Amino acid sequence: MDTSQLLKGVLDLAVLAVLRKEDGYGYDVLRRLRAGGLDGVGDASVYGTLRRLYNAGLLTSYVVPSEEGPHRKYYSLNEPGRARLLDSGKTWKSFAQALDDLLGEGA
Amino acid sequence: MNTQTSTEVRHYLDGMREALADLPAAEVAEIMDDAGAHVTEVADEMGEEFSLAALTDRLGTPRAYADELRVAAGYPAPASPAAEKTEVRSTLLARFALWSLVAGVVMAFSFALTRGDGAELTVVVGLCAAAGALLVFRQHGLLADIARLPEVIALRDALARGERSDLYKAFASLRAFQPVWWVGRALLIAAGGLLMYRPTTGFVLALALAALSLVAGPKARTDRRWLWISLPATGFALGVLLLVLGTLATRFDSYPFGNPAPVTYHQSPPTPGNIYVFDKDGKPLTDVHLYDEDGRPLDAPWYGCQGEDRHDNRFPRPRVVHDEKGCHEVAGVPFTIVMPTAPTTTVPPTPVSPTPGQTTSGQTTTQPSSPSASLSPAPTTVTPTG
Repeated sequence: MDTSQLLKGVLDLAVLAVLRKEDGYGYDVLRRLRAGGLDGVGDASVYGTLRRLYNAGLLTSYVVPSEEGPHRKYYSLNEPGRARLLDSGKTWKSFAQALDDLLGEGA
Repeated sequence: MNTQTSTEVRHYLDGMREALADLPAAEVAEIMDDAGAHVTEVADEMGEEFSLAALTDRLGTPRAYADELRVAAGYPAPASPAAEKTEVRSTLLARFALWSLVAGVVMAFSFALTRGDGAELTVVVGLCAAAGALLVFRQHGLLADIARLPEVIALRDALARGERSDLYKAFASLRAFQPVWWVGRALLIAAGGLLMYRPTTGFVLALALAALSLVAGPKARTDRRWLWISLPATGFALGVLLLVLGTLATRFDSYPFGNPAPVTYHQSPPTPGNIYVFDKDGKPLTDVHLYDEDGRPLDAPWYGCQGEDRHDNRFPRPRVVHDEKGCHEVAGVPFTIVMPTAPTTTVPPTPVSPTPGQTTSGQTTTQPSSPSASLSPAPTTVTPTG
């Protein structure tokens, strides 16, 4: 099964999830996602998703000057972002549970 | 990062920037802050193995990167130059269709109101409106283009604000009577054709338009394209309505001056405009009061120059003369008579000359008591007996 299609629907949730504990800049978020097992996630998709969540008011951002290379823009969850994460997380869990039940012992 | 690397990274970033050029500049700057740093960092990680090919292998072409980011960020798809050109054309067409409709409605209204003044302009505007209607009906999606015009959006916003007002609510309750208006409108259009053209081909055309407007009313509720028929029809019908109301109002207004026919308010016999009475010597009598055989006063209306009116049975009345000095009232008799010598022969009063000065207006032989003599055996005193 092509995981990129599955990813499209849950990338918002995944990005919000990896920012829950700690703020991060774009490449950070990408690494955390990959480290979490989402290998197929595209670089540009992560940056696009960050922009969309930011524009939707779910993230705040701040710039941290970097010693080596360009400065980095960090993103952090704000209150609406946390609420969204909680809400979407519940939806995902019940959805995953439903699919698990459907699959049963077969998978 | 060496200079070679930084140049190639800059090329890559320029490619991205170009692919995102249709987005707002502020948004592009934000994206390049993020993704530019990312590309630079990826290039740094590659170290010695860096090459543009390797970078493209890892991230895709600048355009592919930009497109993927665009989709994930939910930005609109890039506009191709060809699409832009079509857009300009369709905006132009949409604007033409909209404003030709507006002009058509105004023209239909004023054409009806002025009974067909300005025929050349009407033909030009009418052709434009017809072309606009044809475009709307033939061109798919033109209605959507019109809905996207800034002027239409502004109008819709204004209407949406108005929807909350009480006036709108009162107006909305009238919607139930819409079918009545459709029929009334068709009748008005047909009447307008009759007013303006009499039964000619124009009238037949108006009848056809009336029928068309009857169809357009209910259709326009669900299919907005029919507004291009329905709204000009409404304009025309309102023009006819105003014209008819205006004509009626003018007629009513000018009644006392333009149409001084005596109106009998009581059941008294009709009386002539004025009555001159003479005694047996041919001397005119003034301030005579007239009664019929039942003792009812022969009242008749009289209007003076100042518009004041009288309603009584006193004769003769001053004459109202309009000349270069304006309106003035002249007392007295405008003619003299020669009384017959033989009591049985009636000689019609002979108009001699309009010499009002000759009359004896100063005399006070007034009361409706017995006239000393008369040409016929007239009744003497009339006492109102009832």
